Amino acid sequence: MSTAEEQPGPSKPSGSATDEKERDDRTFECNICLDTAKDAVVSMCGHLFCWPCLHKWLETRPTRQVCPVCKAAISKDKVIPLYGRGATKQEDPRNNVPPRPAGQRTEPETSTGFPGFGFGDGGFHMSFGIGAFPFGFFTSTFNFGETRPSPAPRGTPQFEEEQFLSKVFLWVALLFICWLVLA
Amino acid sequence: MANIAAQRIQREFKEVIKSEEVAKCAIKVELVNDSFTELKGEIAGPPDTPYEGGNFVLEIKVPETYPFNPPKVRFITKIWHPNISSVTGAICLDILKDQWAAAMTLRTVLLSLQALLSAAEPDDPQDAVVAKQYKEQPDMFRQTAKHWTSVYAGGPAKMPELDDKIRRLTDMGVEEHNARVALSSYNWDLERATEQLFS
Repeated sequence: MSTAEEQPGPSKPSGSATDEKERDDRTFECNICLDTAKDAVVSMCGHLFCWPCLHKWLETRPTRQVCPVCKAAISKDKVIPLYGRGATKQEDPRNNVPPRPAGQRTEPETSTGFPGFGFGDGGFHMSFGIGAFPFGFFTSTFNFGETRPSPAPRGTPQFEEEQFLSKVFLWVALLFICWLVLA
Repeated sequence: MANIAAQRIQREFKEVIKSEEVAKCAIKVELVNDSFTELKGEIAGPPDTPYEGGNFVLEIKVPETYPFNPPKVRFITKIWHPNISSVTGAICLDILKDQWAAAMTLRTVLLSLQALLSAAEPDDPQDAVVAKQYKEQPDMFRQTAKHWTSVYAGGPAKMPELDDKIRRLTDMGVEEHNARVALSSYNWDLERATEQLFS
């Protein structure tokens, strides 16, 4: 069934098949212990190690953490674990070695509609303030996301108050702009 | 000895034996004891250097913390080189100190040492006397290194003029190696070497 079982068979033509298999095995050797990598992790620079071996290396030189192969910068957070299919039996709990860092999964981004410019759910609000120009501008203009409290229901005294204030601010703003233009 | 160190040396040993450099007789590794803690290395002097034709024997001691710490290597064969002590054979090479990396092997160490023989670093010397000569009198340095190669490493060069100066000193009762060191250190100036030996 599997080719791996056929290779050591008696009908093997020459040494080439075993050589090839050996070469295949060596591709997955840990660069530190030179054995087939167990609890394999791969660095950002692409080099394969057993996690216990790499951890020990990082501990040996905590101040100068470099890849043992290419001396690129390396750290515990910058290695990726490799999960093969027939992998990790937990029968060998390694003391002193913290568990191999977990893989990082990011959820695919679902784009939702634009949250709106802070107009609330209904009525339009005019507010006006004087402050240090650029900062005040940013804070009042770019506060997306955080929705303003919705306006008071129509007919209540609070609603009329708010309408009145809104108009006052509108007029003050217009006057101020006029004054800026004329001055 | 820690298991990983012994296991790795065994694997490396096989790798070196199979490597093409061994086939070309450029490097060689032999076991000294059965526990893989001590080995004997050998490198051929690289071509187009004063070390050409010589064979240099190295002592390799494998620490228990190998491969996380470098092996301790020194030249057993006496050699005249700015980065190698002419007295003890101690080597000044960054990869055997702070630049060691766990993925380096016996093979790469031996090849690095061979590279060191072809490209000395006189600004980071192990032997100050040799380094000074290397920088100030390169021709004299080449002569001396070639002479040492022929005497200690089986090099082919014949230098009757230098041999003659040594014989002058040995005739005065000086031990041959001491005579050679004194002459080498004083750029083969017989008078100054004599002065130094008898002062």
